[in-house]
Amino acid sequence: MMKRRNFLVATASGLAVFADTQHVFARALAQTPLPGLPGGEDRCLVLINLYGGNDGLNCVVPHGNDRYYQLRPALAIARNDVLAIDAQVGLNPQMRSFKSLYDKGVVAIVQGVGYPDPDHSHFRSTEIWQTAAPDRYEHTGWLGRYFDEAEPARENLFKGVAVSRVLPEALISNRTDIPAIPALNEYAMVADRDASARRAFSAAAHDRSVPFQSPYLAHVMEIEGNAQRSSEELPKLVAGYTTKASYPATGLGRSLALAAQIIGSNLGTKAIYVEHGSFDTHVSQRTTQDQLLLEFSNAVAAFYEDLAAHGNDRRVLTLTFSEFGRRIEENGNHGTDHGEASPLFMIGGGVKGGLYGAPPDLNDTNMGNVRFAVDFRSVYATVLERWLGRPSAPVLKGQFAQLPIIA
Amino acid sequence: MAAQARVDVGGILRPQGRPDMSNALQPYRETLGERAAAHLLRRAGFGGTPDEVRRYAAMRADDAVASLVSVPSADSIGPPQEADVDGPIDDKIEARDSELALQLWWLNRMLTTQAPLQEKMTLYFHGHFTSRSTRRFPRITYDQNALFRQWATGNLRELTRAVSKDAAMLIYLNGASNVAAHPNENYARELMELFTLGVDNYTEQDVRESARAWTGWRVTRSTATVRFVPSQHDYGTKTFLGRTGDFDGDDIVDIIFSQAQCARFFAASLLNWFVYNDPEPELVERVGTLLQEHNFELTPVLAAILGSNLFFSERAYRALVKSPVEFVIGTYKTLGLPAVDKAVLPALVQMGQHLFYPPNVAGWPGGENWLTSGTMIARQNFLTRLLGSQTLEASPWLRGLPMTPKSAARELAQIVLQDDVSPASLVELEGYLGGSGSAALAMLSAENFDQRVSGAVYLAMATSAYQLN
Repeated sequence: MMKRRNFLVATASGLAVFADTQHVFARALAQTPLPGLPGGEDRCLVLINLYGGNDGLNCVVPHGNDRYYQLRPALAIARNDVLAIDAQVGLNPQMRSFKSLYDKGVVAIVQGVGYPDPDHSHFRSTEIWQTAAPDRYEHTGWLGRYFDEAEPARENLFKGVAVSRVLPEALISNRTDIPAIPALNEYAMVADRDASARRAFSAAAHDRSVPFQSPYLAHVMEIEGNAQRSSEELPKLVAGYTTKASYPATGLGRSLALAAQIIGSNLGTKAIYVEHGSFDTHVSQRTTQDQLLLEFSNAVAAFYEDLAAHGNDRRVLTLTFSEFGRRIEENGNHGTDHGEASPLFMIGGGVKGGLYGAPPDLNDTNMGNVRFAVDFRSVYATVLERWLGRPSAPVLKGQFAQLPIIA
Repeated sequence: MAAQARVDVGGILRPQGRPDMSNALQPYRETLGERAAAHLLRRAGFGGTPDEVRRYAAMRADDAVASLVSVPSADSIGPPQEADVDGPIDDKIEARDSELALQLWWLNRMLTTQAPLQEKMTLYFHGHFTSRSTRRFPRITYDQNALFRQWATGNLRELTRAVSKDAAMLIYLNGASNVAAHPNENYARELMELFTLGVDNYTEQDVRESARAWTGWRVTRSTATVRFVPSQHDYGTKTFLGRTGDFDGDDIVDIIFSQAQCARFFAASLLNWFVYNDPEPELVERVGTLLQEHNFELTPVLAAILGSNLFFSERAYRALVKSPVEFVIGTYKTLGLPAVDKAVLPALVQMGQHLFYPPNVAGWPGGENWLTSGTMIARQNFLTRLLGSQTLEASPWLRGLPMTPKSAARELAQIVLQDDVSPASLVELEGYLGGSGSAALAMLSAENFDQRVSGAVYLAMATSAYQLN
């Protein structure tokens, strides 16, 4: 049974008004850590979708593997250029700032992450990663189900935030309204022309004594209230946050700057989604991917610099994912086609830095693609149990082995 | 207000209580009146203009429904010139523009067609037999859209046969790479799971056998043509849903449609689309029987559903959440605007309904899933951007709104909301138009008319009632 919020107060006229909006909102903000989230404390998860299919082999480079150089005569990254982690693997040379984070011990690299019977469609594989359901169709996302299960206070409108135009599947839930906020100035009701319009809107949007019944009426009213309140309040709530961090002037830089601002404003936010891409490098891969990895590396470094300056770096775990890696052998256009398993990164928080999973086996492949060694749901289970402090089985609809990554 | 019943299937709410099954599907015999006329036009189409609502209001239900289900042939409808669908289009910008032009063309058909049920069913099938746009090959996307329009009120079995061999479907669910030597089960599975039977009504063995029957269909994308390649078809014996034979795809469809579950599946789906969500099993059973009695011909079954006592009951009234397309086209209809502006295309994406890109093979989940803070802001911002002086000028009736705030508020409430508004909200609307207290105006003036009226229309459309269909 869905719990309807109690801030709608019926008045004598039959209209519901925002009588106690300020009060309820203030109460929600005071709830840090949120109730009902044992172990979660004031932790936040930041999820970065490297969409388009990030080529794992030119990101975490198997420079000790001759087969890599045989299969990628045009695309391989020269041994001398690789930012070596050990004799076998290293990072793309554009990822210097990210390598510094790795050297500080706050980056875990999980190699060979994927799932059984991999799908090569961007669309379907993205959906699989976001819904954590390779073998069925779920209309809720894995973080959406986390919110449904954790039931953080409903009146907190910013318990999850997608820094995107459209709510990603990962955050779609049955019971929880998560805002998609592409940028502060875009999350606004352009109708906020004057006080009398706002007042009339509030009244109209909460007209409970309408001459009809509808099973959806209460839901519509709740969402209309959420939309108005959250868009009005957000700019004020984050206004006090300032930063000296030097974010790159890129989409990801701006997204992570907003994430740091939301986290630093203590809104009780448990999960933030951002995206970066497109990594779909069928043609001229080096130019495109190197640039994207440079932007990623600098943006993430600035993000943790910003978080650290406000004492928030230990509160924030960042997890990257991409719908698939790419074919081991390069194609005829200096690019690579859709592949399967690839590495992902976990940064900050209580991460024990280092290499996890298994380096790609370039000889025993699945029709030319890297076989998976770690099921991505094991990564999610680790994040849910060890970072967010929630049982993972109800969210993932099954038990998955956890990785010893988070202290 | 009574407590709302909730069935915990994500996003789907059923009205509380039980329908009177003894007369639920009996014909409704009254003259419609504006409220029922607007309801019928919203469900069977995308809403009515004020003139259309008035015209239907004077009709008896059976005449109104008969007029709506009488849908002309789609044969004369061709692709829009401006979309240049005959591609392939290698330039990415041109391909995107062609797709946008096709979306806009379809939205304008929804707005201006004299047979709204034809477009409503085309949209229904787009979300039911899902495929995604093949952007470089717009002809493929167009052809599927035309196929749905062709069969909009036709025979469900025939459409299922046809869409199984449609290029967009063969690409989307990998039918085009399903060959005897390496069967691909994707289409065979979704055909049963999502399109005709629902989960748990077949076995994994049925999926494998059906996949074999569907082998051999290939697509040439550049010409949007589909051909059957006998050498890639598995002519062996298959056992499917308890029957054995050298089945091909058409046989598979016929066997599926011989199952009572198939009739129930479409009955539930159509009731969800036209009446209310999560319909009672007994209702589903009865509509399923109707489908079987009419050999899966849609016209008589749609007439029975749309003309029923249940359809015109309070139980069904405003019981659905407007989809973004219904919200947008309904707004254009209400205002009487002549053509859809291309600015609605990105707005629809932000509201969560990107035409030719259903979120997955299960289609748009609908119900309360349409509504989040973000999609609600997108709805309200769409209204605000639309409701400027130009729109006021283009609307045949807004210009003629009475100048006294009270009468103007009443007319707005009637035309936009069929009076589905409380007396208190009507007072708010009037207060917004004329101001309140000592600043209240007795009459609107030429100076404040545009600003006040566009604001008041916005407020009427921002009500909860207006989000509901």
